[in-house]
Amino acid sequence: MKRAARIPILGGAKAFVLHRPHANLNAILRQLSAIGLSATDCWPELPSEALGADFVFFDVDLGFDEQFPWVPGEAPMPIIALIGSEAPGRIEWALSHNADAQLLKPVGNSGVYSALLIARQSFAARRQLADEIATLQARVAERQTIVRAVAALSSQGIDDERAYAQLRSLAMSWQVNLEDAARRVVAMTEQEGGIDHPYRA
Amino acid sequence: MKRRVEIGILYSRSGNYQLVSEACHRGAMQAVAAINADPFSPIEFVPIERDPQGNADRYATLTEDILRNSSARHIIGGVTSWSRKEIIPVLEKAGGTLWYACPYEGFEANEHVVYMHACPNQHLVPLLGHIIPLYGANGFLTGSNYIWGWETNRVARDLIADAGGRVLGERYLPLGETDVSRLIEEIRATRPDFILNNLIGPSSYAFFQAYAEMSRQDDHFTPQRCPIVSCNLTECELPAIGAAGDGHLSAGPYFHDASVKEVWLVGQPEHDGSRPSSFQASAYACVKVLASTLASNGDASPSDLSAAFAQNSFNTPFGAISIDPQTQHATLPVEIGRIANGGFEKVSIAKTVEPDPYLSRYDRAKVFGRRKLKVVS
Repeated sequence: MKRAARIPILGGAKAFVLHRPHANLNAILRQLSAIGLSATDCWPELPSEALGADFVFFDVDLGFDEQFPWVPGEAPMPIIALIGSEAPGRIEWALSHNADAQLLKPVGNSGVYSALLIARQSFAARRQLADEIATLQARVAERQTIVRAVAALSSQGIDDERAYAQLRSLAMSWQVNLEDAARRVVAMTEQEGGIDHPYRA
Repeated sequence: MKRRVEIGILYSRSGNYQLVSEACHRGAMQAVAAINADPFSPIEFVPIERDPQGNADRYATLTEDILRNSSARHIIGGVTSWSRKEIIPVLEKAGGTLWYACPYEGFEANEHVVYMHACPNQHLVPLLGHIIPLYGANGFLTGSNYIWGWETNRVARDLIADAGGRVLGERYLPLGETDVSRLIEEIRATRPDFILNNLIGPSSYAFFQAYAEMSRQDDHFTPQRCPIVSCNLTECELPAIGAAGDGHLSAGPYFHDASVKEVWLVGQPEHDGSRPSSFQASAYACVKVLASTLASNGDASPSDLSAAFAQNSFNTPFGAISIDPQTQHATLPVEIGRIANGGFEKVSIAKTVEPDPYLSRYDRAKVFGRRKLKVVS
């Protein structure tokens, strides 16, 4: 059975709540401290310490981009939108910040715990996906390097197919990926005018 | 001249968990009588009683009934988590407070509820911390098919993993189900070190009987080798289990010790067939704490409660206890008892354990110790 496993330990985590003084703010702070987080409220700006927070709650009703010490959509931690008015413009703005979870106002006695867990999971999934995409993009960007490496190897009198196979076996023996191996081959070709035979697999 | 205060009493007088709710009812009514007879208390309670008859759907409507048709703003009641979750939205709408006298699965801290019995760091965590070093870490989990069993077993899975053990099976029975044969066969096949029992009412009683039968055929399944451990089993249900319960274990804030005279039990006949239990003690404590809060604080509305709890400690059957103003959960003793002679022998006692309903302070190393390295020869 697949399960997310583990008691979610939130004790000691730091949360910032960007909301003007209000009963809703008190309800959120109360829930956060009951759950065991240390919570700080702030308005109208997130202080720079918030960059070290584990969670940030932000007001959608009165919020604007300049409140955040980061570019919209690139918060470095899970963020939770506090939505009162469901006007389309405000929802659009909240979406531009890539909120990981939401909490509808008025806030009562519950909702914060599930928002924390959902935000944490969706932030982690988003970050993992972004990392994977960055890795893949970097590899795609090396296509030309691979072409140049294959060309350099085939200039030694073998056909393209065998040159590519040779590049792969070089990568294996160097224990690097194909792109890195190609970069090395290209570098050697440029410096020494050819691939050094002792490195051949 | 005493101030008359109506309070709601919402316990089922029939249904699956009748023995438990009768124990709660008895504790609440004893405390009402004690407060009313106490010349030093300025409060006279007038109980407004409603009986949901063990039907989860009736809790919300009867809560509404009490709040609408009487001046009561405080209700002592509810046994299952299911019923508590039915009651809460009504309280939120009408500004009432539930005084909840039963152990529950945690992960809740509602301003409209005062949690007077144990949450997981006061029952499950110390229970497994006690038994795993003695019996082994491989457990079989069972429960009635609703939130108490699901969530308690979920935490147990993590605890068992932390202790280096494995969950050998997990089986749920519908509320009220008494056919436990499949459950028994699975336990027989997996031979765990202990069984965590989150069954309630008749399912639990049937399970104890069937397990005792199995232990006569196979001595692995004796309480000395493979005990049934529970977080909600008390004296009030032992008559329904009989000798089949002997030797098995339970955790709770209170087990009755007949050799000690307790002030709160003055007047209860000693041999009327029902021993005092933590359910009775907790419901008693609810009324007692409510009375002293009302004495110093007008109507003790939900927004006043945490301030009232911040400064005070309260005399209850659990001893002098405080209530955490953040979570409104009680600081309680944690005892582990072994069933013997129709009661419990205490095998472990911790005097005061602060509530941690979200297990935010749970520390694997503190509960189970550092993992021991195996000696390689």
